[in-house]
Amino acid sequence: MLETPLSAVALIPILAFATAPATDAPEFKGPSILDFFPPAIFFDGNEFFEMNRIMLLRLVIVSLIFVLFWLGTRKMQLVPGRFQGTIELGLEFVRKSIVEDLLGQKDGKRFLPLITTMFFLVLFMNLTGIVPGINIAGTSVIGLPLVLAVAAYIAFIWAGLRKHPWTFIRNSLFPPGVPWYLYPIVTPIEFISMFVLRPVTLTLRLLMNMIVGHLLLVLFFSATAFFMVELGGWWIAASAVTLAFGTAFTFFEILVSVLQAYVFALLTTVYIQLALADEH
Amino acid sequence: MLAELIIAADEAPNPLVPAWYDIVYSLIPFILVLLLFWRVVLPRMQKTLDERAALIEGGIEKAESAQAEAKAALEEYNTLLAEARAEAATIREKARAEGGVILAELKEQAQAEAARVTATAQQQIEAERQAALVSLRAEVGTLALDLASGVIGESLADDKRATSLVDRFLADLESDSASSTKAAK
Amino acid sequence: MDANTVLAEINGNIATVGYGLSAIGAGIGVGLVVGKTIESVARQPELQGRLTVLMYIGIAFTEALAFIGIATYFIFTN
Repeated sequence: MLETPLSAVALIPILAFATAPATDAPEFKGPSILDFFPPAIFFDGNEFFEMNRIMLLRLVIVSLIFVLFWLGTRKMQLVPGRFQGTIELGLEFVRKSIVEDLLGQKDGKRFLPLITTMFFLVLFMNLTGIVPGINIAGTSVIGLPLVLAVAAYIAFIWAGLRKHPWTFIRNSLFPPGVPWYLYPIVTPIEFISMFVLRPVTLTLRLLMNMIVGHLLLVLFFSATAFFMVELGGWWIAASAVTLAFGTAFTFFEILVSVLQAYVFALLTTVYIQLALADEH
Repeated sequence: MLAELIIAADEAPNPLVPAWYDIVYSLIPFILVLLLFWRVVLPRMQKTLDERAALIEGGIEKAESAQAEAKAALEEYNTLLAEARAEAATIREKARAEGGVILAELKEQAQAEAARVTATAQQQIEAERQAALVSLRAEVGTLALDLASGVIGESLADDKRATSLVDRFLADLESDSASSTKAAK
Repeated sequence: MDANTVLAEINGNIATVGYGLSAIGAGIGVGLVVGKTIESVARQPELQGRLTVLMYIGIAFTEALAFIGIATYFIFTN
């Protein structure tokens, strides 16, 4: 989804340097998975509270969300101003086009806090991936996507058990309307898709989007720096190309950030809706 | 070779295996933000929306009452207009009738006037005729006297001349009487 | 010829090929979902809002396969 043929062409010169055995020539150092495990800042060595810059970033983002939404809803006017209008627009978007659209008014009200939290937490954490100076998404380390996916998992199983206490598990594993002799095939598939794949895909989709987005941006911008500073000369022309692609992908990452927040909230809502559906 | 691989694996942690600190620093933001939205932001938002809805509903009620008022006013106006039209129609009827009466009266008056004028004219004519007759009678005497004196004054030597004089006199008399009868008519 | 002679050598990680393969299916799938959505919107523009939501759900499900493809490298390295 992220790679385009053109961007591949732009990166071809890098490959030559990346694969060439390092001799005297300057060596290109691309992004690595270590980017997501920076050295600790506080509590180094503590297994539970070791804090590196990504963890610190998460706390900063949480305080930013607190300040924005606290101030935005503190003195609500009936006729909203510009700031309050923006906050309201976001909240109403989640309420109307995600929650109430799929769950209806009554059920929607119960799950609205969870879905709203997911949407804004994911959105703000994603957007740090393109903020200059931070350049890494709070969701690009598996903890947050995993916690959110587990929350979604608990939410939809709880919703199903509460609505249909006796039939939810049975009907999910043995869907009614399927001939009995197909159950040996259908039941494992249903089990895996519902109780394993759903949380796993929720986690992986968000995590991998953010990891890949970060790696691509770092690749383009470090290549630009490499061409311009280390090589110089005619290579500066190549740096212009990588810079252009890096800029384009920055905008693309904004789109991906918003889209992933939307999709995460939307899929959680869909799972809850499926659990609440009457055939269970 | 194997040692290298192990070192590499040690150096690059698997991004799919969450570290405990990672989970901790994910749970804390999640719970904090969940509480924020659950307990603070969404109730406030709901309150604002309810107030706004109440305001809009109040506005709708007001508009409805205003509409009802306007409707009542329109009906009243319509009744008034109908009444006024009816009144105007009666007045026009009455005026037409009155106008007919007045016209008839005027016609009568005019006829009477015309008759009076005719009568006056006839009386005047009659009076003038009488006057003419009177004056004629008086003048006939004078004329006779004139003629007689003329006849006497004239030398009657010529028979012929005497005859013509008498004739002329008679003719004059005749024409005079004719003109006076014409005027009487 | 000796059995241990190396005739050709490829550097890099075989997981890259795995990701490439998994991206094929997801790419085709996402293309189908979006294409069909565009077709449907062209037929019934008044359903656009509803169809867009469905399209995103469909893309999300399909695209997950590609991301599982990336993840398998990390799953099977340990």
